[in-house]
Amino acid sequence: MEDKQVHAGDLIVSLGGRTGRDGIHGATFSSAELTSESESLSGGAVQIGNAITEKMVLDVLMQARDRGLYNAVTDCGAGGFSSAVGEMGEDVGAEVWLDKAPLKYDGLSYTEIWISEAQERMVLAVPREKWDELRELCDSEGVESAVLGEFKPTGQLHLTYHGETVGNVSMEFLHDGRPPVIRDAVYQPPETKTLSLSENASSEHHGESLLKILGSLNVASKHWVIRQYDHEVQGGSVVKPLVGPMCDGPSDAAVVRPLLDSQRGLVISCGMNPHFGDFDTYHMAASAIDEAMRNAVAVGADPSRIAILDNFCWGYTDRPETLGSLVRAAIACHDVAIGLGTPFISGKDSLNNEFSYFDDGGEKQTISIPPSLLISAMGQIEDVSHAITMDAKEAGNVVFLVGGTKDEMGGSHYCLVSDLDGGQVPVMDVPVAKATFAAVHEVIRGRLVRSCHDLSEGGLAVAACEMAMAGGLGMQVDLSVASDQMAIELSDTQWLFSESNSRFLLEAPASAADEIAEIFRKHGVAAAQLGTMQAEPVLSVKGQDGTSTCLEVAMDSAKRAWKKPLDLQ
Amino acid sequence: MPRPRVLVLRAPGTNCDEETAYAFERAGAECERVHVNRLAENAALKDRYQILCVPGGFSYGDDIGAGRILATRLQNHLADLVDTFVHGKGDRLVLGICNGMQVLMRLGVLTEDVSAAGGEKPATLTWNNHGRFEDRWVHLATDSNGEENSKCVFLRGIKQMYLPMAHAEGKFVAKSDAVLDELKQAGRLCLRYSQDADSGVQDDLIDFPANPNGADANVAGVCDASGRVFGLMPHPERHIDPTQHPFWTRRTEQPAVGDGLAMFQNAVSWFE
Repeated sequence: MEDKQVHAGDLIVSLGGRTGRDGIHGATFSSAELTSESESLSGGAVQIGNAITEKMVLDVLMQARDRGLYNAVTDCGAGGFSSAVGEMGEDVGAEVWLDKAPLKYDGLSYTEIWISEAQERMVLAVPREKWDELRELCDSEGVESAVLGEFKPTGQLHLTYHGETVGNVSMEFLHDGRPPVIRDAVYQPPETKTLSLSENASSEHHGESLLKILGSLNVASKHWVIRQYDHEVQGGSVVKPLVGPMCDGPSDAAVVRPLLDSQRGLVISCGMNPHFGDFDTYHMAASAIDEAMRNAVAVGADPSRIAILDNFCWGYTDRPETLGSLVRAAIACHDVAIGLGTPFISGKDSLNNEFSYFDDGGEKQTISIPPSLLISAMGQIEDVSHAITMDAKEAGNVVFLVGGTKDEMGGSHYCLVSDLDGGQVPVMDVPVAKATFAAVHEVIRGRLVRSCHDLSEGGLAVAACEMAMAGGLGMQVDLSVASDQMAIELSDTQWLFSESNSRFLLEAPASAADEIAEIFRKHGVAAAQLGTMQAEPVLSVKGQDGTSTCLEVAMDSAKRAWKKPLDLQ
Repeated sequence: MPRPRVLVLRAPGTNCDEETAYAFERAGAECERVHVNRLAENAALKDRYQILCVPGGFSYGDDIGAGRILATRLQNHLADLVDTFVHGKGDRLVLGICNGMQVLMRLGVLTEDVSAAGGEKPATLTWNNHGRFEDRWVHLATDSNGEENSKCVFLRGIKQMYLPMAHAEGKFVAKSDAVLDELKQAGRLCLRYSQDADSGVQDDLIDFPANPNGADANVAGVCDASGRVFGLMPHPERHIDPTQHPFWTRRTEQPAVGDGLAMFQNAVSWFE
């Protein structure tokens, strides 16, 4: 990759949409508390997007990149020109002629021009000798471009408006002059509450719980939304969001080929579970990373070559307790990223997501969102023809459970649909996770596995059900095999619904079973061959006594429950 | 092997031009992706090409209707180019995919010469029955049932295809039953949505999702009277490689190519 380097003497060029009064103080607004007056007071903070301009800018930018017409480029995001030029000119200096910016309409002050966050604008550092060629390219594609100034080797950020200086500050002061902000953050571990589960819950109870989880909004099918997005545009899709013979199974991740004449692929996946944050934001963050990694590894990504992104949405962080919960999540991100060797390459945050109102008694009430962290993972797959999907493939194939199950029902979807509180939230064991991801990748890369699905919301029961359902098959599972081979003591309910991290279900031909078991032994990763795919479309689970049935659900009723909540017309 | 040159027309909002060019190149053609503004500046450019392809996307934002602005621009500024490819000496091909078919329908070139229309517009594309954008793989059957000498040049020897559709305004509606019948008798309702891979062409309306938008007679693609000008709503360029199939991971053996490639190969070999 080439360096993005601004040179002294480069022109400051704006490209794309015009500057308007929309998006003034958008960044400030997005982190402000909302009230019933926000709409009228801050309406101007909302940027007005335009997809067609965005696409035209992109078309020009790609061609300009390939022809080497600019040295550096920055998107006008928060702060508009001010942050784009301020960032790009940090090591050089910049002179900006604000009256040169193309405007949507007259009447903007130079301050508004400087900070507007109007969309679809790019700032480029363009060598003087390339400007004519860039301008011609822009004209031929109908994209507006303008020279806004010059990167001058002064170390100053100098703003003018019709020749008058309207701002002049040193780049050094701008970037390093601000004293560090010190805020209090406190963290008080919540009281542990024991969770009491019935020791001998019936098969009917487990069946009903499974259907309720399948119909809960975080688990339910998202087909109604997915089909309204063109998820195959540009022809690179290899693993789509909906998989299986009926094109309705919930894929763990997407695989795309950015270059159509290459077999190399990118893997994109996510992980998020705000319910765990009610217990401990450290374990919530670690579990979100684990889930994003699981999803990427499940379709064939190489776990040693995954990069991740964070997306924090939090409450009012001036409150020490709220900041404390954020710091705790950030510490988990640090620990897990280093432990797994998985770098954070970018991220985004939206803080102070709170809404205030006065209740009938005149008391101020505040609603804060739960601490929420979305982790996105981007992995690589050397040859996309080695990718696999989560839908069960063939009756008679054997099923492995990979990874240890613990008594970790805290924050689980089982508790959510049963209205139960307390218990231990899933904890991530980083070295175990790393070994598990490596072992699962080895069996996938060795082409021993026909399908793979990660265990997340709803645990083993939901993962097994989704896998069979997506493949139009059924599955038989025997928990006594798992409890014997893994030497784990749990109730049947915990086996079925615990949401412990770093776990997968794998489907493989019986002929590959020994080789798979050997690979997991070699990596020191727990794995038990606990099930078989069957043609009869039923998920049937034997309890730990090896004889009684602890869960039995027909696939058609499972699919109905799973599709119904968001099957909108 | 002939090596025809393809003009893949770009406009603001076109977003399927790269994979469409890739499909033509895989079939042995030479491709150039050219912006509509460049053609307007230099009318002589059109003589470089034997095939005109209007690819998918959302040209000009689909403002005031899908494909309408690009069609108007072609009509007002590039009428000569359109006429050369559509009529001319009858020695060129035209293909419109998705937004490209919407453009060709607005131009009227797919539904020319229908006497039953009585001088009015014979057919149009309108909103899907459910009123939303939909991305879905669909089974398609050809009216010619795999004949080598079918009316539509692009569909020769093709019996059925499995391709994705991705559109909001793709429901083909004819002005009257008489128009529909005339087009059908002429072999111009050449591509239809079908119930499954083997069920062939059906004139009676089949249910959603097999017919994803409620199109009359399950029409997914239409050609002109000569068979050289063809528009279709599904995306053949999205099924060129086997790994583009939505459940290729269930197959133990992969075919060499996807179903859509044959259409592009037909276009190339027509120049033999």
